[in-house]
Amino acid sequence: MAPSSKLTQKGYIARRVLLSSLAVVGLLISAYLSWVHYAGVAPVCVGGSGGCQSVQTSSYATIFGVPVAVIGLVGYSGLLFSAWLRGEGGIYLGFLVALVGALFSVYLTYLEVFVIHAICEWCVASAALMVAALICTSFGAWRLAKAP
Amino acid sequence: MLLALIVGVAILVAALMAVLSQLGGTTGSSASSEDVGKLYSGIPENGTTLGKSGALVTIYLYEDFQCPYCGEFSRQMFPQVVEDYVRGGKAKLISEPLTFLGPDSVVASKAALAAAEQNRYWPYYSLLFENQGEENSGYVTTSFLEGLAKQTPGLDVSKWNAMRKGNSLESELYEAQAKAQSAGVDSTPTLIFSGPSGQQTIDELRDYEQITQAMDRVDGS
Repeated sequence: MAPSSKLTQKGYIARRVLLSSLAVVGLLISAYLSWVHYAGVAPVCVGGSGGCQSVQTSSYATIFGVPVAVIGLVGYSGLLFSAWLRGEGGIYLGFLVALVGALFSVYLTYLEVFVIHAICEWCVASAALMVAALICTSFGAWRLAKAP
Repeated sequence: MLLALIVGVAILVAALMAVLSQLGGTTGSSASSEDVGKLYSGIPENGTTLGKSGALVTIYLYEDFQCPYCGEFSRQMFPQVVEDYVRGGKAKLISEPLTFLGPDSVVASKAALAAAEQNRYWPYYSLLFENQGEENSGYVTTSFLEGLAKQTPGLDVSKWNAMRKGNSLESELYEAQAKAQSAGVDSTPTLIFSGPSGQQTIDELRDYEQITQAMDRVDGS
């Protein structure tokens, strides 16, 4: 069920467009980092690639052989799909994916700062996108939950 | 109600991914003292040499402890090299630690060479790479090195500390540097395989297949 009033409808569409944009940027970042992983090349990083290399080659860059960047591809694809999906299903799916992504991004950022002792700008950008997606999807999910 | 359920599921999924990440992070690598012990169990260690002295093939490893690709090699391929070629006596490994990335590389290499004096170089080598930080970020502190020394099975930490702080290890570093220059090594990791059928060099390591091929070419079989 899509929101009915004109104002809400506008906001709903704007949030879907914003979520799609965030998902597309996230997909591009994940695709680049996945390519970097499989090609075995150093990622381009602001101020030298040392931090990105350390993170990308750390033992936390893969989960049972699956690169974290590929998991990011799946997550951002889910966000894009949720933005495309109309009605409550899309709103709740987007919120779920964004919340999982944001929580996992917080964990990955913790690893970068306190365990790997290196910062990868691409990963930080992806974390910021996930948090933005969470804020974006929270509005719709909260409205739906509060609706009578 | 539905929103609370979604939040609960999201927390559960994220937590599961974090746990898998921790497990996946240690799979196939020498993460803990116990894992390091298992990897080298039963394999002769003599200074910076790992394996039987009579092995037909010698693999020289030119690495910098701060080099991220050396860390990747050490964590992802090295344990398989040990299992496939060193444990059975086909090859022995000789580490040549290089220090071109910065002063912290010197400090880390000296710490590993100090462990070599007690024939505990290789467990310390694995722990250094397993816990590698960003190059020249200052992660190679005394407490970091001592923490690894305490995790190294069979290492007398006070003897290690005394050796590490002395100047006697610098000549070994110069020696490794000189060997690298004469062998034309200008990047890390570089692996040089020397056996009855000749010599093979890998200076752009991408996959394990390259190691298998190099071994096949030099082992004389």
